[in-house]
Amino acid sequence: MAAVLVAIAIGFHALTGSFLTAENLYNIAQQTAVVGIVAGGMALIIVARQIDLAVGSLLGAVGVLMAWLQYTQGWPVLAALLAGLGFALVVGLFQGWLSAVVGIPSFVVTLGGLVSLRGAAFLVADGKTQPVTEPWLLALGGGLDGSLGERGSWLLGAGLVALLWGWQFAQRRARPGRRGQELLQAGLVALAVFGSVAVFNAYRLEGQAEGQGLPLPLVIWVAVVLLLGFVARHTRFGRYVYAIGGNPDAARLAGIPVRRVMIQLNLLLAALVALAAVVAMARLNAGTNSMGTGMELTVIAAAVIGGVSLAGGSGSVGGTVLGALIIQSIDSGLLLTDVGIGWRMVVLGQVLVAAVVFDRMVQK
Amino acid sequence: MSALLEVREARKSFGGVHAVDGVSLSLASGEVLAVLGHNGAGKSTLMQMIAGALPFDGGELLLNGQPMKFASPADSRAAGIETIHQKLALADNLDAVANLFLGRELRTRFGLLDEAAMRAAALPLFARLNPNFKNIAEPVMSLSGGQRQVVAIARALQFQARVLIMDEPCAALGPAETAMVHDLIRRLSAEGVGILLVTHDMPDVFALSQRLAVMKNGRLVGVCRTADVSEDEVLAMIIAGKPPAV
Repeated sequence: MAAVLVAIAIGFHALTGSFLTAENLYNIAQQTAVVGIVAGGMALIIVARQIDLAVGSLLGAVGVLMAWLQYTQGWPVLAALLAGLGFALVVGLFQGWLSAVVGIPSFVVTLGGLVSLRGAAFLVADGKTQPVTEPWLLALGGGLDGSLGERGSWLLGAGLVALLWGWQFAQRRARPGRRGQELLQAGLVALAVFGSVAVFNAYRLEGQAEGQGLPLPLVIWVAVVLLLGFVARHTRFGRYVYAIGGNPDAARLAGIPVRRVMIQLNLLLAALVALAAVVAMARLNAGTNSMGTGMELTVIAAAVIGGVSLAGGSGSVGGTVLGALIIQSIDSGLLLTDVGIGWRMVVLGQVLVAAVVFDRMVQK
Repeated sequence: MSALLEVREARKSFGGVHAVDGVSLSLASGEVLAVLGHNGAGKSTLMQMIAGALPFDGGELLLNGQPMKFASPADSRAAGIETIHQKLALADNLDAVANLFLGRELRTRFGLLDEAAMRAAALPLFARLNPNFKNIAEPVMSLSGGQRQVVAIARALQFQARVLIMDEPCAALGPAETAMVHDLIRRLSAEGVGILLVTHDMPDVFALSQRLAVMKNGRLVGVCRTADVSEDEVLAMIIAGKPPAV
């Protein structure tokens, strides 16, 4: 899939001459973050043989609630964000309880949520757009002031490479691998991180003394992916999610608390949706009742293109990064080539199908 | 001889159907007791009751003379009763080590999975069961039937089972793998593990078991020493529900 992403990027650059520019890559990175943050959690939900169709509507309801509490109710920003998180967790708990304890298929539970929560998003502020103004909050959405700057980006990049190398070294004890392969992997990590920093630092807005550096939505997204990937591979919770997806009966017979894991998983996804709602609200400078509309399908598509099997049990959090970037790159590339919204949707839908077909062929 | 495991007048019904109707059995330490019967005779239901997966409607279960009440498979496992299911109950997408420790993972002092320790504990165990079993880091879906059976048996051994319930352990195995599983069962029984062997396969019964119990329509047809009966007599018990002549 990485090769597909590179091919898409080069293809669009050849067509438009402006795809592989620092500005466009910067925009793609920050546009993808909202979908990417949720897709990481969606990957684990699908691995556990569940689905969540309500993420887009929940993002709308939470986003408009957070903004409404600030703008109309005059709450302090942090209190408003925490209230939004609390609301998301209550919804996650309710939906998790319905599917894990009562035994209603998650497709049905969250299909209901998809409709109801969109209605709730309208009810919160009676359909009115709720602007947000807090500078630090807006910075989380990226844009002009929402990035780390050149120095900060190099520092964070160096810290990230050190962290990943240290982790790779620590892992050698548990799973000794081939020396050459390890060196190659370490090299690729450094190249990817420092390469990204260099690209984002090269993007300089008019009138600015230095380059933008890493946009904050991207930083949040990467942090979420690393954390989720770690949880998936190195904690008992993560192991149980995969075991449940691989064979629910075996998981139950092995004494895994399946219901508890399912509810925890729903709470995790709800928390990620709340975080994504903060970023989305900051990008829009407002909370609106329509934010996140249709996002559930983009998120699921990102997970599937990223290699998560809808049958459950296989796929990774890291893969969703590629999936999300591929979707956003195609959307953005078609926009640059002046393709209308109709054709963009036609193409995007078939890309999802093609990705799964491609995956099947590679598997065989 | 005091029984390791004893079931007295076990009863279970689903709706109006008496799946298990007043069955009593005992199992000694180191004994292999074959449990036979048609599909629907109540064998699987009885085994699930012993394993804690289904509650008793009536009757009782004693382990070393102590009455036990199991609310879940985890309870019975904690008491030393392990089940190897017909479908093996392995998570196909996880590797052999992960399956070995499934539900009982070793963790580091930070609460993370201790892969190194689990691998270190798994290697000698798998090597003891089958020296040719090397690919322990691959998802078990890519393993052969015999290797999967080794993983399932290793799960039971790792946690010092005293009673082992095996549901059709040799179904769908080739001759060499069947021989290997037979060998494993004999070794386990020599180590003092009591084994309930649920099977349809007569060669398994006569090669492995000391006694056999036959069920039909939820009731016990009879229990006898395997050496005292012929295959035809056993078939008569299964098909006609005819108690043994001895």
